[in-house]
Amino acid sequence: MLEKLALDGKVAVVTGGGGGLGTAISLALAQAGADIVVTDFRPEDGESTAAEVATLGRKAVFIAADVTQSQEVNSMMARAISQWGTVDILVNCAGVIRWGTRKPIWEITDQEWHRGIDTNVTGAFFCSRAVAKHMVGRKRGRIINIASGWGMRGMRDSFMYCTAKAGVITLTMSLALTLVRDGIRVNAIAPGLFRTWEPKERYDARAAFIPTGRVGDPREIGALVVYLASDASDYVTGEVFPIDGGTLASGSAPIGYAPLIPI
Amino acid sequence: MIPKEFSLEGKAAIVAGAGRSWLKTMASYLAEAGADIVLSSQDQKQMEEAAQEVKKWGRRTMAIPTDVTNCQQIEEMVATVISQWGKVDILVNSMDLQFAKPLLEVVEDEWHQVIATNLTAVFLCTKAVGRHMIESKRGKIVTISSVLAERGLPNSTAYCASKGGVGQFTKALALEWARQNIQVNAIGVGWASDEAHGEEAEPTDPLARYIPLRRLCRADDIGALLVYLASDASSYVTGQTYFVSGGVMAHG
Repeated sequence: MLEKLALDGKVAVVTGGGGGLGTAISLALAQAGADIVVTDFRPEDGESTAAEVATLGRKAVFIAADVTQSQEVNSMMARAISQWGTVDILVNCAGVIRWGTRKPIWEITDQEWHRGIDTNVTGAFFCSRAVAKHMVGRKRGRIINIASGWGMRGMRDSFMYCTAKAGVITLTMSLALTLVRDGIRVNAIAPGLFRTWEPKERYDARAAFIPTGRVGDPREIGALVVYLASDASDYVTGEVFPIDGGTLASGSAPIGYAPLIPI
Repeated sequence: MIPKEFSLEGKAAIVAGAGRSWLKTMASYLAEAGADIVLSSQDQKQMEEAAQEVKKWGRRTMAIPTDVTNCQQIEEMVATVISQWGKVDILVNSMDLQFAKPLLEVVEDEWHQVIATNLTAVFLCTKAVGRHMIESKRGKIVTISSVLAERGLPNSTAYCASKGGVGQFTKALALEWARQNIQVNAIGVGWASDEAHGEEAEPTDPLARYIPLRRLCRADDIGALLVYLASDASSYVTGQTYFVSGGVMAHG
């Protein structure tokens, strides 16, 4: 029964595949048996992930694309399909966050707004659109969007990120309903804080503000992605699965605030 | 390849209650992943069937008939498990009493029964097992809940209140035990079939037509997710209800 989790013979496209989460996701999918198309706008990072996947004995290729440019996305996807004959799994992991952009809202430029929105949500739409017809034709497919817990809560000074990630969540739901009859499942994972590109000390400083008291390791997201990419999640579509050390369960009071009130 | 993170090798799991007659399938998935299983409900037939499944996977099993609304019986059941197996790593709360009636016709005893089985029993079992989990600084609690933990339904006030309670219990306890390395989560099941590999719903059934996936949820649909939430692979997941609803939760 658990053999449904295996991804042997499947092809997965991972956007943002050169980043911290994207690398971990690519490796987890490969370990479960999938061949991986790594895509990123950063060639060095993307190539490095593809090389790591190859050491696991799976096929891997890096195809450069900026997810905010639909032509680049379309040609990346067309190349992936023509090269390997199919794309079974798309993981929309490309995203951009700017922590602590502490400036008044009236100083946020059009360009900054568009960069946040375009990368985080338009990119997921472009990539899904580019693969949907192929998946519908095969009557199967899995799309996994990497949203964020901050798509369900606000964060100071993070207008673009929170707004875009909320968009990723409702994109997930709408796309799931749109493609459900064609055998395609669309779900989202909403990560909390994971150790990726920032200096270690900055994560260490934030650990105390997470209920579990630690920041996630990118490798911890792998099993959940594999589950949602596999046949084991056949009855799951349009759902959002947070993985956040308890962050979304909290939010009523400071971490550690635990009053005692006898009856 | 099945990712090794899903392994429950050497773990001891208690499956409490036998709601929806899914016991056999849930126990089977956990045993396939490597866990030894304690079956703890009042449904003798279901426990026997489940025990057969667990043995097929070569795992140990123990059936302890328990009324999961009875605090003393639960404490005794957990004490027996601890004395015989020395530990409990996983608790699956799978009790589920279904009930639907217009509010004005619901008598107090019915209300109490629904709350007792669907909510209080989760509290009692979790408390009895949690004591040992806190000592050993690790543990996994997974409660089988419902889409009605978050959505309303006419004539289902008591049931919705009980499952909504489970959702909040899950969040609050997840925070309380977060630093003890105990993860507390739930699976919100959609409209369910009692069959393990249930029949397709009638396409003319208005309820089935409402479900984007056009069929009812089967025990088999939650098996792998149950294993995931019971395994170390999910140690950064806590306080969550993961829905397996056939798409129901996505639409308006």
